[in-house]
Amino acid sequence: MDLENEKIGPAYAAPDTYFKDTEMRLMQRLGIQNDIQALNVAVEPGAEQQKPHIELQTVAPLDTTGVQKRARKQDPITSKSSGINKELDALGNVVIPPLTFTTNENPEWVNFGAISEEVSASPESLNDQIKVVSYGDLLTNVESTDAALPASVETPMEEVAAPAAIPVPEITEVVETALPVIDQEPPVVVHEVPESVGLDELESYLTTKNPLLADTAPVPVAEVTPVNNAPQPEPLNTPRAVEERPISLEAPATAFAPIAGRQKESATPGWLGVAAALAAIVAAYFIWTAIQPPKLDTEEVVLQQEETTQPEAPLDEPVVTDTIPDGLQLVEPLIMEEMPKYKEPNVYTIIDAEEMPERTKRALQDLEDHNLATFDMEDELFEELDFESL
Amino acid sequence: MTNESTNHTTITNAQRLSNCTEDELTAELLRAGMSSLMFAEVVKRYQKQIYYHCRNLLVSHDDADDAVQNAFIKIWQNADQFKGDSLLRTWIYRIATNESINLIRKRRPNIDFDEAQPEMAEMISEDLYLSGDEIALKLQKALCFLPFKQKLVFTLRYFESLTYAEIALLTSTSEGALKASYHHAVKKLEIYLNVLR
Repeated sequence: MDLENEKIGPAYAAPDTYFKDTEMRLMQRLGIQNDIQALNVAVEPGAEQQKPHIELQTVAPLDTTGVQKRARKQDPITSKSSGINKELDALGNVVIPPLTFTTNENPEWVNFGAISEEVSASPESLNDQIKVVSYGDLLTNVESTDAALPASVETPMEEVAAPAAIPVPEITEVVETALPVIDQEPPVVVHEVPESVGLDELESYLTTKNPLLADTAPVPVAEVTPVNNAPQPEPLNTPRAVEERPISLEAPATAFAPIAGRQKESATPGWLGVAAALAAIVAAYFIWTAIQPPKLDTEEVVLQQEETTQPEAPLDEPVVTDTIPDGLQLVEPLIMEEMPKYKEPNVYTIIDAEEMPERTKRALQDLEDHNLATFDMEDELFEELDFESL
Repeated sequence: MTNESTNHTTITNAQRLSNCTEDELTAELLRAGMSSLMFAEVVKRYQKQIYYHCRNLLVSHDDADDAVQNAFIKIWQNADQFKGDSLLRTWIYRIATNESINLIRKRRPNIDFDEAQPEMAEMISEDLYLSGDEIALKLQKALCFLPFKQKLVFTLRYFESLTYAEIALLTSTSEGALKASYHHAVKKLEIYLNVLR
């Protein structure tokens, strides 16, 4: 058979429908289908007067059964729900900065246990005695009772702290007034004191405001109002005989781990740890020896590499190249099984394919079919293809 | 009025592209870039050739289909890299060849392109879209006994009728080596065909 003179056609014949489908798939993957459709419509004869018709893609309603819906929030007034936009909703959030403690020394630790309970007054102890006075009531009481208020008689009968819900950052104003609910003499003065004010500050304030208190010792309420036989509430913030304990920032003598408790010493003897370490070392040694490749194989590989290393030829020697006559085919039979000490292919035969008899061709084919010979033709084709070289 | 004039221009461009020769199409691509209209024309013009070329190399229809799709997607994405140093057809064939080689490497990572893949011959008679010509089928089976490089050269020269200069550009090989390789491939295929008869 002469291939170059007898032209053989292709073995494959795909139908035109396949190519059209492939073209459509390609355009859909690239997202240019609409452009092509518009152009195809415009190319039709007689379509010059018409606008190109582009079909709008209609989105079918989605079946959301079984699909989890997005989070929504409902307006309590209109009862309408709307999707939650996290970015917008995040705008209304107040970011509270972290609480920081500042101390004069040793900022690494603060001994909270050394702080006396009197400084951090507990609300439970005051709830029974605090009388809530609203700000409006106080103002009206100030107007109505200011004139009738005796200037000299000011007895701290009852001190009512403002409720915690009313934030008062600083002592802005101290209203001294008498509660109208108490008819007996002497008048009751109500002090509105914010919670943030400590007892020390309150005491110093009262002594400066009322010099009587500074001169005299703390007087019980019962002594000031002997006429009043009704049960009077106990004075809330009258100076109590409390020992002033300074706040200590020093570390206590004991271990400073009150939550975890005291650490017990381990009862494990020391020799057990040493034995465990030795056991781990022995186990690691056995594992290491188990995963090592056989030593003999490694040596053989090294020997083979040394044997196959050939000295390089000097650069000034001329390179001998084989010349293959035209029309001849280079065939390289590698008879593997018949050469047990085979190292390199050393049988090269040039066979003229045109003069080869039919029996020889079949014999060569049989050799190759039974893996007894390999026919190959050497060439230097094909480096890696890339876009840049074109 | 504006729409009508625009339509008229579009129709003219579409017709002009379809009537362009290959050189004119290459020049148009270099001048105006790869528009969707140009790409559609390229697909229409070269799709069959590229499919049969990939099918000859890969034998499997599915693999050839994948290679063609990937090749045209790369053509669309990398059209700006076409410098015009070769014909557009050569550039497209080169991309398709690269995609075929990549697909073979994906299927068989340890493949040696200097060796033949005779096992592919068994797939030929079972696959889609065969012409039914027995000699053509035998030739395809014989091609599987060639090293891939010789198979590629023979396919490009024999079936696709590319010139040696184009194949040399496509494969980055000298024309002399290509001629020798093609000659060896032809002689070897003739032997196989005589044996397979």
